[in-house]
Parts: sequence; C-alpha cells; structure tokens
Amino acid sequence: MISVKNLTKDFGDRKVLKGITEEIQKGEKVVIIGPSGSGKSTFLRCLNLMETPTSGEIYFDGKEITKLHDKEINLIRRRMGMVFQHFNLFPHLTIKKNITLAPVKLGIMTQEEADKKAAELLKRVGLPDKADDYPASLSGGQKQRIAIARTLAMNPEVILFDEPTSALDPEMVGEVLNLMKQLADEGMTMVVVTHEMGFAKEVASRVMFMADGVVMEQNSPDKFFSNPESPRLKEFLSRVL
Amino acid sequence: MNFAESFRQNFIEEDRWRYLTDGLKTTLIITFFAVIIGMVLGFLVAIIRSTYLRTKRLLIPDILCRIYLTVIRGTPVVVQLLIIYFVIFASVPISKTFVAIIAFGINSGAYVAEIVRGGIMAVDVGQLEAGRSLGLNYRQTMVSIIMPQALKTVLPALANEAIVLLKETSVAGYIAIADITKGGDIIRSQTFSAFMPLIAVALIYLIMVVLLTRLVNLLERRLASNDKR
Repeated sequence: MISVKNLTKDFGDRKVLKGITEEIQKGEKVVIIGPSGSGKSTFLRCLNLMETPTSGEIYFDGKEITKLHDKEINLIRRRMGMVFQHFNLFPHLTIKKNITLAPVKLGIMTQEEADKKAAELLKRVGLPDKADDYPASLSGGQKQRIAIARTLAMNPEVILFDEPTSALDPEMVGEVLNLMKQLADEGMTMVVVTHEMGFAKEVASRVMFMADGVVMEQNSPDKFFSNPESPRLKEFLSRVL
Repeated sequence: MNFAESFRQNFIEEDRWRYLTDGLKTTLIITFFAVIIGMVLGFLVAIIRSTYLRTKRLLIPDILCRIYLTVIRGTPVVVQLLIIYFVIFASVPISKTFVAIIAFGINSGAYVAEIVRGGIMAVDVGQLEAGRSLGLNYRQTMVSIIMPQALKTVLPALANEAIVLLKETSVAGYIAIADITKGGDIIRSQTFSAFMPLIAVALIYLIMVVLLTRLVNLLERRLASNDKR
C-alpha cells in the first residue's frame, strides 16, 4: 500500500533521514520505536507529505506522490489520516464541528450526513454525549479519542499515529490505546510512532527500530523483543523495558 | 473677561461652535473610511506575509509588503499625508478629505498588518497541520481554522488601532482640511484666546477615546468569557 524508496530528509545541514526503503502492506500495523531524534516522527510525517522529502520516492497505491501538485496531495491526504501528539483539535469549534468540518468542506458529505456520521463515531470512541461541547472542556485522553474520530470521519485507508499518547497523563493512556487496538482489530492499516512497548508487543504486526535516521532492525514483535540483534536495539530495550 | 464671557465669545458669537461640529464630522468621516481601508489593506498584507513565512510561497508579493511596511512605519504620517497630497495627487483636482482617507488608510494598514500577522502566527502550527492532514487546502484551512482563531486574539488590538487612528487624523490640517483640531485653531485665530477652543478640542477627543476604549474593554471581557466554555 505504501512503498518508500531511498527516502532522505535534511533540515538545513542536519540529515534526519539517511535513506529509508520500506514496504507497508494493507492491513499491517507497523509500530516504530527508537530514541528521540532518531527520525521516526519525520519518517511518519513524510508519508503524508507533512514534510517534503529531500530525495527518494514514496508510492501510495502504486502512485509516486512526492512530486505531485498540491491539489493531488490534498486528495492523497484524504485517504491517509493522521493523529498528532498534541491532538490539534480546533478549539473554536464544537466536537461535532471538529469531526464534520473536513468531510463537509470537501464536499464528501452533506452537513446532515456528516452529523449522523459524527454521532456514530462519537459512540464508537465512547463519548456520545460530548457532541456540543468544546475541546477545552475535555481531558487529554478524551481529546485524543475525538482526534481519532475526526480522522475516521474521512474514512481513511491508513492512519498515521505520531506519538498519540506521549502528551497524556498516565491514567489516560489506556483509553487511547484501547481505541487504537479496537481499530487494529477491525483491520485498519496503521503506522504508529510510540514509546508504548506494551502496545507494540500486543498489537503490532511488525516492529521497526529507528536510530540515526535509518531503520536499524525490524521484526515480528515476538522476535523483536525476545531476540534483538543489533547492540543499539539491545541497549535501547534495556533502558525502556 | 470672565469664564462665561469667554465661552460666549469663543463658541456662541458668530456661531463659532459650528467650526467644532463641522470639524468633528470631518474627523469622523476620515477616521471611519480610513479604518475600513486600513483593515482591508492590513488583512491582505498579513495574509501574504504569514503565507510566505509558513509556506515559502508568494515571495514577490511578500517583498512588496515588506517594503510597504518599512516605508510606512519608518516615516511620519504627516509627511506621508503631504507627499500623497502635494506629490502623488498634485495635478489631480480631488477632494482633500478623500486624500486624507487614502493617506490615513494606507498608514493604518501597515500597523493593522503587523497586528493581524502576529495573530495568525500565534495560532499553533499544529492547527494548520491538522487541517492539511485532513485534506483541506491551504485556503480552506486559513478560512475555517486559522483566521477565526487569529481574529479573536487580535480584535482588541485592532479596535485600539482604530482609536489611535482617530487621534492621528488631527494632523489633517496640514493639507488645510477643516477637521476638529483645525476648527479649534480657526476659532483661536479669530478670538485670540487659545484656552477655550483648544481645551474644547482636547475634551472632545478625550470623550470619544474614553468611550471607545470602554467599548473595547467590554468586547475583550466578552471574548475572554467565551474562552472559559
């Protein structure tokens, strides 16, 4: 579904990604871990062109997307949801409006259809009575569940999660991870940058270890955690587990 | 001469009060239309500048905007007014009030632009990313997500800019416009008493500014209470 070839990204003279070649299949749940500054968020943000790659190619459904015009990129982004570390809900809009804004503005649904969809999604993320509240009145965990609902309203084919629980108080991490597990069980293709090793073990179909701008090692979660090969990964795991 | 006599001489005799009321009318007309021009111009410049800063597009318009901001904010408004009247519109028979509206509008636009740009840049960059990640284009994200939030934060500052502009129009007399300041000055030249007419002019400005400031404070409190929802 997503195929990356020799992807590099520089910020000034700093080389953040140093040539990444990867395949992500439909239905896969890829979890990316690694020390901070390893380039994992940048890699994720390149996939939906939030960052413009310096060189290399990204194919989405067989189509090269890095050289596309803005208009075509916007069409690609409709099919790739993204969930952010800091939720990025729209504070001036109600929860319902947060969810319905994009599908209505883009002419995918009428306001009525979108409202119905929003009600369904709110039920699904366990917050059916929050439709008319504003984001400021929600807890962090609730905000992130709404952000996921907002992404789901576009019926994406894949969702990119950029450290979705890193800004949450510990007691709220569970509710977000549970929702993500639920999505995974329903067959959603997911790419998740996270520090939650438990989630990686339980949900991932593949765990990827990034360090110094490259994918150093990757494996099924069983082998990844029980049999790490590279010294860097061993060291990393010994510190986080 | 006692107070009552002085008052009579300066304002009642020969209907001199009309210099003040007619002048006030001119001042308000100039301010009103200059505020509108300033807002339109300012928003345009702010959007161009913040678009360039965030996306690196619109380089040429951004350069033009920066020149405009530097020139306007780097020179006194009186000089701008004189140049626009005596140089730019020198050979065009045109209403002085119109010239003043253009001059003060262009001047105010520069200050409005920087206020609004500040407001746009103060909206978290994650808001733009969230909008774009959903497939909205830059313009849709600006209109539906960024501008409503920016507008709310800059509204009080914009209102204050309008109040400042009201006072700045007092230099319109430099191109012989009979605004309220000039009106007071005409009375002074006729009665040879400075105190009454000039204090009257000052009081009228003061009352307008105090009332408008109150209005802005009210607005500010309204906006603040909206945030607590």
